[in-house]
Amino acid sequence: MSITLTLRILRSRRDVMPHYETFEVSVSDAANVLDAIEQVWAHRDRKLMFRHACHHASCGTCAVRINGREKLPCIVPVADYSGKPLTIEPLRNFDIVGDLVVDMAKFFQNQQASDFVITRPTENELVGKPIAYTGGMDPESASTIPFNRFENCVECGICLSACPTMAGDHKFFGPAGLAAIKRQLDKTTDPVERKRLLELADGEHGVWRCHSAWECTEACPQQVFPAESIMALRKEITKKHFRELFGK
Amino acid sequence: MNLYRPDLKRFRFLRWFDFRSWRLGMIAYILNRVTAIGLVLYLYIHLAVLTMLAQGPSSWDPFIRIARAPWFLALDVLLLAGMLIHGLNGLRIALTGFGIGVRGQKPLFVALMIVAAVALIAGALKIFAG
Ligand code: HEM
Ligand code: SF4
Repeated sequence: MSITLTLRILRSRRDVMPHYETFEVSVSDAANVLDAIEQVWAHRDRKLMFRHACHHASCGTCAVRINGREKLPCIVPVADYSGKPLTIEPLRNFDIVGDLVVDMAKFFQNQQASDFVITRPTENELVGKPIAYTGGMDPESASTIPFNRFENCVECGICLSACPTMAGDHKFFGPAGLAAIKRQLDKTTDPVERKRLLELADGEHGVWRCHSAWECTEACPQQVFPAESIMALRKEITKKHFRELFGK
Repeated sequence: MNLYRPDLKRFRFLRWFDFRSWRLGMIAYILNRVTAIGLVLYLYIHLAVLTMLAQGPSSWDPFIRIARAPWFLALDVLLLAGMLIHGLNGLRIALTGFGIGVRGQKPLFVALMIVAAVALIAGALKIFAG
């Protein structure tokens, strides 16, 4: 069955101040929000700027805010909103390129700073710790595993958008970047590399800038638990400073 | 005010008050800041009031009469609420910051706020009982 949906989309360009435009589209009741956005582009306004690729939460490119909450619209059914109008806005705390597209350059630089890569051959074991796969995305069972599955991250930027600290300090390294550092740290015993990683996460724009709102972990669609990684890094960095204090 | 405007970049922090995105952690975050500002303000008011003490009974005694008025006692209850919320939530932030109770930060917040509510009711009863 097809339903008529109202989308209120935040539009902007370099020379056009952000403003809302309302569109009505017809989509299947089984559609996801990304399908509705595509309908706007296909039938209402070909100039609408938005990003997407995979349509199944693997690429992380389509992240936007739906009714104020950060989401991957490719996996959010329109049925979740029972026909109510949807307000679609770009991610917060990024500069806008146009409409729903934001500038992710700094975000990707921070992701790479720790030499983190999302694609690599399957690992059977991290340093000394077997990987505990939960075999599912159930938050309850996931909560018992050690934080060793950073490859869950699809680099969508949702955590940076949800983070209130990011809104106050644009130099903050950001939850995803810090979680990437933690992930890299788990994989190496090399003291030089560990020192480099911990120094990267240290400092006033690093882990210490976080004010524990936990919004990153709450918003992350992939259970990366960035806030937990930040707390774990703090522990490691504190240990490192204590060791240095006693000349070790 | 549309905070997506590039010229309002410096005011992005005002997005904290976009209640559409509030979850428990964000509520705790806002409460911590609001109570912190309240406590700092109180500290200055407290110092101002204490200077009256130095001026002797002529200025201090009338103040004590005001301090016993019900509306003033209500402000005492508000102060107690601020102290309890900020202090107990602060304890949670400090603990989780050391990696303690990280997984249970939400139930920890709820439990500490229940403690705050109970202590506030007990405190309010005592304040108004005189
Ligand atoms: C039981 C006593 C207290 C505890 C356990 C406590 C704990 C904390 C903690 C952990 C933070 C950091 C929060 C964060 O990282 O976001 C904080 C922030 C703060 N506290 Fe307290 N605090 C206490 C009493 C006070 C008092 C009496 C005042 C004022 C006179 C105060 C004023 C502040 C201020 C201004 C901040 C900064 C808030 C911000 O970052 O925006 N605190 N407190
Ligand atoms: S940590 Fe989660 S929210 Fe942040 S970029 Fe990775 S997948 Fe997205």
